[in-house]
Amino acid sequence: MSGWGFVFLAYGIVWLALLLYLFFLKRRARRVEKELAALRSSAVKKN
Amino acid sequence: MAQAAQNKTRGRKLLGASALLSVLAGLYFGLIEAPPDAYQGNAQRIMYLHIPSILTAYLSFFIVFIGSCLFLWKREKRDDILASSAAEIGVLFTALTILEGSIWGKPTWGVWWTWDARLTLTAILLLIFIGYLMLRSLIEDETRAAVCSAVLGIIGFLDIPLIHMSVYWWRTLHQPPSILRPDKMPWENIHPSMLIALAVNFAAFILLYFYLLSLRFHVGEMEEEAKTRKLYRGSL
Repeated sequence: MSGWGFVFLAYGIVWLALLLYLFFLKRRARRVEKELAALRSSAVKKN
Repeated sequence: MAQAAQNKTRGRKLLGASALLSVLAGLYFGLIEAPPDAYQGNAQRIMYLHIPSILTAYLSFFIVFIGSCLFLWKREKRDDILASSAAEIGVLFTALTILEGSIWGKPTWGVWWTWDARLTLTAILLLIFIGYLMLRSLIEDETRAAVCSAVLGIIGFLDIPLIHMSVYWWRTLHQPPSILRPDKMPWENIHPSMLIALAVNFAAFILLYFYLLSLRFHVGEMEEEAKTRKLYRGSL
């Protein structure tokens, strides 16, 4: 593998890993937001 | 309260946009603007990721250290959420540092891995904080999990000065620091064009780190609120 080959391998892995982490974090945030909204609305209905 | 939440979301979006722009600038400077190294050739460009990654991981574990100390002192859940959020992101950046170092090591040293003092201590740091995250998920009692992980977070942070000093204390393959040296200023060691690429990438990693941390902390806070609401509903 040439010098550039190693460079693209490193940059590819790093940015893919960071993008994947961001994707899963955003998905987790959306799921909790939905759950929290449902819990808040059920608490309002009870009151 | 809704206004404060809106301001936080707006601030986070602004931070995300700044991180994205600086990452693009970092890619431009690292891959196009900076010249290849006289000895290492283009493989040296991996350093524009490797050095910012490890410095970001150090910062992250410093935040774990501060959050853990504050939690043990005040017992406030927010500090525990901050510490655990920083630990999760710190693990990611440490793992990436080891991977980048390994990819750079193959064309430069001729090996993917060697049991050098700095490499081994960095691998130990990664294992300590993987242990930290596992400990939190294995202990059912949340307060006990938070206390145990805070203690481990403080102990784990103590590995960082060892990693930094390892290249002075032991005869290692890993070279001594080029930037954080007591005897020379950074611009006396590196050509300005390379130093600029490194600085831009470092700024990009720091901005991205704070964006990820604020998002992860927000998720942690929401999960805590959901848990409390479920408990309250269950007790009625």
